[in-house]
Amino acid sequence: MNRSQDDNSSAFDFEGSWLEFAPIAFSNLLLTIVTLGIYRFWATARERRYLWSRSRFIDERLEWSGTGRELFIGFLLVLALILLPFFIISQVSQALMLRGQEVLGVLLTFISFLFLFYLVGLARFRALRYRLSRTRWHGIRGGSDNQGFLFGLSYMWKNVVGWLPAGLLIPWSMTSLWNERWSSMSFGPFTFEADARAGPVFPRFLLFYLAPFIMFIAAIPLAFAGVAADFDNLEPGAGIVFAFLAFLIVFYFGLGLIAVAFYAKFYREAVGATRLGRLEFHFDARTMDWVKLLLGDVALVVFTLGIGWIFLRYRHWKFFMIHMDASGEVRLDELTQSTTRTAGHGEGLLDAFDVGAI
Amino acid sequence: MAETHRIQASWYDGRTAARHEGFLLWDGGERVRLEDQWQQGLEIPFADLRHVDSQRNTLVLGRHSEPDFRLSLPRDVPADLAADLARRLPGQARYGGWIDRIGLGKTVIACTLASAAAVALFLTAPEWLGPRIPESWERQIGEAMVGDFGGRICRTEAGDKALDRLVEQIDPARDKVRVGVANIDMVNAVALPGGQILIFDGLLQQAESPEEVAGVLAHEVGHVRERHVMTAILRQFGLSILAGGFNSGIAESALGLASMGYSRDAEREADDYARARMRAADISPLGTAAFFERMADQYGDEDGSAITGWIATHPSSSERAKAYRESAGGSSYPPALTKPEFNALKTMCAQDKDVEDFDFF
Repeated sequence: MNRSQDDNSSAFDFEGSWLEFAPIAFSNLLLTIVTLGIYRFWATARERRYLWSRSRFIDERLEWSGTGRELFIGFLLVLALILLPFFIISQVSQALMLRGQEVLGVLLTFISFLFLFYLVGLARFRALRYRLSRTRWHGIRGGSDNQGFLFGLSYMWKNVVGWLPAGLLIPWSMTSLWNERWSSMSFGPFTFEADARAGPVFPRFLLFYLAPFIMFIAAIPLAFAGVAADFDNLEPGAGIVFAFLAFLIVFYFGLGLIAVAFYAKFYREAVGATRLGRLEFHFDARTMDWVKLLLGDVALVVFTLGIGWIFLRYRHWKFFMIHMDASGEVRLDELTQSTTRTAGHGEGLLDAFDVGAI
Repeated sequence: MAETHRIQASWYDGRTAARHEGFLLWDGGERVRLEDQWQQGLEIPFADLRHVDSQRNTLVLGRHSEPDFRLSLPRDVPADLAADLARRLPGQARYGGWIDRIGLGKTVIACTLASAAAVALFLTAPEWLGPRIPESWERQIGEAMVGDFGGRICRTEAGDKALDRLVEQIDPARDKVRVGVANIDMVNAVALPGGQILIFDGLLQQAESPEEVAGVLAHEVGHVRERHVMTAILRQFGLSILAGGFNSGIAESALGLASMGYSRDAEREADDYARARMRAADISPLGTAAFFERMADQYGDEDGSAITGWIATHPSSSERAKAYRESAGGSSYPPALTKPEFNALKTMCAQDKDVEDFDFF
């Protein structure tokens, strides 16, 4: 099967409808409430089964083969192996500090937070691995033979290096971690390759980085204008308050917009630099697409008094599918079953830290 | 011999991504046969099939024996066949597992009842669990909590003696409560598990008579003897879980202790206990009444007023002042402590050179 990038139709497509999704979302919400949240794991599996089954890659739909039970077991494991010890350690270190062993207590707290930092990296890796291992196309699944323990360490040191020079190496740490994570993943017999570069995303990062300073300097004449306005106005102070408010609005929205612009560029660069066998992936969402997605999210949640929240994952998945594309070639007879081991439990670690997989 | 039905089908063998196009053949027996364009056959018993997904036009089935195998059938099979085949094919999973067997409506009702029971159990747990916690555990918890105050407990020989004298008069039990003065500048006193009571130095500093201190102490002894303490601690713990957290900082634990909430009934019980004990010990309740009147002046009389601590979680101060004042008999009372004793108590923390200061960080 050959695909070139000039093909009018995208390699990825989403054929779901929110009317079809609504019964799933509402019954999930109902069951989650009446079970005090325990159904959440089965709800996630149901939701994904729907979203995946309505997502087409070239000639066939995807299939989500994960189950709620394994997600639940993953959650229980995290609870028993991580949250409980963490709670005990925090109690112990607190008691140590109160009993005059401040150094020991602080050290223990520091170590436990360091460990948590490590676990965030590990969780991001494991979540992607889990999702690939439960995603099937033509009966073939993905996965990884890498347990992700080393990635957890990379996540720590690359983030630290990214932040150290006043945060200037963050684009590098982001792209580098993307490459490292995806290069450990596979689908069928093929290993993903990723070589996203920090260079192309750096200008936008610099814009984000410098924007507060630029805006601050730009605000000075604005403030003067505000003060000047006060002279003509009977109400002293109104001008400066207005100028200040205008500045705050411009500051936060402007900065948010630039942050989205950076992320849009990063995502295009990262996905565009990812390959599988003879397939190259592309992502074409531009800044305005992301802005529309985010504003739509806000509107959906606000105007439905929060109920719309249950449709957010649907929206995000659809956004992702619509903007994904691929070119190159898939040889079906070469695409044999993955030999990676599949973890018997789900994304508990991810759920505990609430970080996204992709 | 029944006629053989043919339905268009496609499948993946799970070993390669190549799609097999062909037909599903069924003669009404216990198994189906798949034949692709090269007439290569594959026999699968119905028992081996499992439901994977129901898509708009397609039914996707898997096999128990080969987890990677996938068979796609059209959903619009001939009507005469559909019912027969549907009976044989595995039922689809919608909500998962047993919910499909019971039905959504019944599940929701059952889960609602179970959840309501669980919530009720959780909310009332302090009430029934608190008094049932073994005393040996309670003592250990209390010691751990006093340990949290570290070297901030004031000790002087004369001060300890004065405290002992107060306890002797107030607490009738053979196993006396253990009372300490904490070097903390808050108008507060707390009863900890295991019969431990801490009076904060701030309360002693503003006290104008030993009877005031005796009243506060008698109230806390009331909490201990009526077994309120574990109930309050469990409630506090439950609230902190509900509030989303095992958040624990040093400041929080001390403040949590300080604002540990008893129910209004518990407060009333402790007050009744205190007045009864003071009457028995011939200690004037007027000092305590004066204390509450001062508190009402100083912090207002609203329930849960701005101050955290002893006064905030209790019934309104003026109401209580009145109750204490009314419990006073006509006769005159001997002082609860002598002047030097009261003085020793008040200067306990200033005199103790080894005591540490309390600060939140």
